Amino acid sequence: MPAIKWCGMLVDFEVIKRAQAGDAPAFNEIVLAYRKRILGTITRLIARQEDVEDVAQEVFLRLYFSLDQLRTAEVFEPWLYRLTVNAAYDYLRKQRRRQEYRMSDLSEQQVMMADAAAGGKVEHEEQQQKKVREAVDSLLGAVSEADRILLMLKEVEGLSLKELEKIYKVNENALKVRLFRARQRVLKAFGASGKQDGTG
Amino acid sequence: MYPTHHSDEERLDALFRAYRAACPDRDAGANFMPELWKRIEARQTFTFSFRRMANAFVTAGLALTVVLGVYMAIPQRSPAYPVSYLQALADNNTLETPEIVGPVRLDLTDPGR
Repeated sequence: MPAIKWCGMLVDFEVIKRAQAGDAPAFNEIVLAYRKRILGTITRLIARQEDVEDVAQEVFLRLYFSLDQLRTAEVFEPWLYRLTVNAAYDYLRKQRRRQEYRMSDLSEQQVMMADAAAGGKVEHEEQQQKKVREAVDSLLGAVSEADRILLMLKEVEGLSLKELEKIYKVNENALKVRLFRARQRVLKAFGASGKQDGTG
Repeated sequence: MYPTHHSDEERLDALFRAYRAACPDRDAGANFMPELWKRIEARQTFTFSFRRMANAFVTAGLALTVVLGVYMAIPQRSPAYPVSYLQALADNNTLETPEIVGPVRLDLTDPGR
């Protein structure tokens, strides 16, 4: 399945300008237009279905109170994405304090899911999807929250380096290096768990 | 070594694709908008109260500064105080120091002495 890119304005610039001026219906219009996309992105970033709406509301809450800081409506989408990334990051940081990643459980799941992904029809699709989410969530425990989000945006959301540059306001080369390192770490964890599974 | 690594790369990509498929875009629940507006209003109320309190503090601070400024600017002259420090010192000495170190008094009115 090809990754869905974050592009194409869902509201007119005029609506954004009205919302900036404090027009509540215009703000509603923005939320209605973007909430599905935001919810989807957050779902993939945090991998916790039950908290997705809460984090999405936080994103729109931040949007509401910082909309007046947006200089031009043209940069609205990267800016909204940045708010999403920040809210997801804050959530993940809080979560990490509470959570213990069960890396030992990873190998069996991830091998099974990788095979399943390549292997056509899968029984109990719902359960399998849940296991895939858990596997990726555990696997990403190998990197920091910031790297996890960056990796997700690139590998799962399918954003280009140019788009990431706009969101992070960081040099493309720096992003490349960071992405490479994050991917290597995840790959190492992935390989290590695969070996464990092979020997065990 | 390389083929294994290469295979891991592919499997990881496959896992990410599977993850993408397992997390499709979803729509919000019925309570999403009302809950969002509730949160916005709660934050607004808090911000408003905080701003009002901050404004009150700033106003009070400014008023106090002005009052102190005016107070300091007014020359501190009172009829109860002597005009100069030397006079004050002299007055003080006449009261508290013994006669021996007090000013010498010469009586020049009696020429017979």
